[in-house]
Amino acid sequence: MKRNAILLLLGILFLTFQTTLLSYHPIQRIRPDIILVLILYWGFTLPPVSGGIHALFLGYLMDLFSGNSFGLYTFTRPLLFYLAQLFKGRLYLESFPSQSLFVFVFALFEGLLILTLLAALNPAPLGNLYPPFFTFFLPQSFLTGMITPVLFFFLQKIFLALPQMQRIGSRERG
Amino acid sequence: MSLRVKQKQGVTFVDALVTEIVSPFQRASTFLIKTVHGVFQNYVVLVHLQRENLLLKQKVAELQKENHQMKEVAYANERFQKLLQFREKISPPVIAAEVIGGDPSSWFKSITLNKGEKEGIRKGMVVIAPEGVVGQILKTAPYHSTVLLITDYSSAIDAIVQRTRAKAIVEGRGENRCQLKYLLRSEDVIVGDVAITSGLGGNFPKGLMVGEIRKVEKREHGIFQYAELVPSVDLTKLEEVLVIPEAPPPPLEEKGKRGKKSPPRSGQKKK
Repeated sequence: MKRNAILLLLGILFLTFQTTLLSYHPIQRIRPDIILVLILYWGFTLPPVSGGIHALFLGYLMDLFSGNSFGLYTFTRPLLFYLAQLFKGRLYLESFPSQSLFVFVFALFEGLLILTLLAALNPAPLGNLYPPFFTFFLPQSFLTGMITPVLFFFLQKIFLALPQMQRIGSRERG
Repeated sequence: MSLRVKQKQGVTFVDALVTEIVSPFQRASTFLIKTVHGVFQNYVVLVHLQRENLLLKQKVAELQKENHQMKEVAYANERFQKLLQFREKISPPVIAAEVIGGDPSSWFKSITLNKGEKEGIRKGMVVIAPEGVVGQILKTAPYHSTVLLITDYSSAIDAIVQRTRAKAIVEGRGENRCQLKYLLRSEDVIVGDVAITSGLGGNFPKGLMVGEIRKVEKREHGIFQYAELVPSVDLTKLEEVLVIPEAPPPPLEEKGKRGKKSPPRSGQKKK
């Protein structure tokens, strides 16, 4: 219970930072997606059930505070969480470059997925949405990748400070 | 003693000799004392100065902080005054709200307001700033609401070019840019022209400034020309907005349910 409350608070904290501090000019244009970093970190550390629920909830929160009405993030964020789970134990993510590259690739994948979903769900063509992919989404994904090692480091510290997480996590995995 | 004073000779030889021998020591001693005293005094003064400097620095920092706060109050006052004047100018009553957050995603353009249904805000209401149109209410909660900005890709406003009255649809392009769609090629539109709301479509009242045309492109073929528009409101720096609490027309779905399907109204593209 306590663990879930902490994870929830952490998610809300990241969302708050994303919508306030990182939304301000001039970093707004290339602001990193710190929620994505958090979800991918969860993908490596949390068990599938509770982690999936948290990722779903965070995606839902994103949709709630976002201008999109399709519920795209409620779909993509748990998807990314489970994709990250697939790579758990298969990828060596101890070094900074590998962490950055991993998150950069995932950010690009999510961007393309959202673009595809928007194109599929919208009856009218979305020509005005494609140019931003190269002008700001690519640099933004790059920046998200760049700050990943720092965030992973701090998240690791937080997770280590809560030994209960490991125990409960292993219990859930059976 | 009176005799000595009366003597024209200064001092005796012996006296002079002793004086000359002792004086250098005296001088040295005085120099040493003065030096030590000076060093000590300087050190003490320096310490004192350092302390004073620290205090002054603290004082400067406090004053700077106070100055910043005063400036912030002055700026806020200026903004509120502008907002109030604008509020008095426009006929319908408006709800003033504060922007408390941006969109968590970079694909969409929206802001969160600190007012919601409890204050009378409803979905579809128009959001403005003294400089022009901001967007319209997309989602509402009891005490908060989300505004879809005019720069969002799914936003569409029925507009006219103020100078020539040419009709067009203002569509969001993200990143504080919009485009004029369905602007007839035959229409006379130049860079610097201002686009205002046409009042058609029901949501936006007529005459609100949308933005200024920054780029016009006439291709060789086609019946439409392309124009890029910069919103009159800097949507990246918004702090306070006004919501026009006029009841918007019933949503499209409800209209559709009641009778025949009607074309999408301006404000938000059909999804």
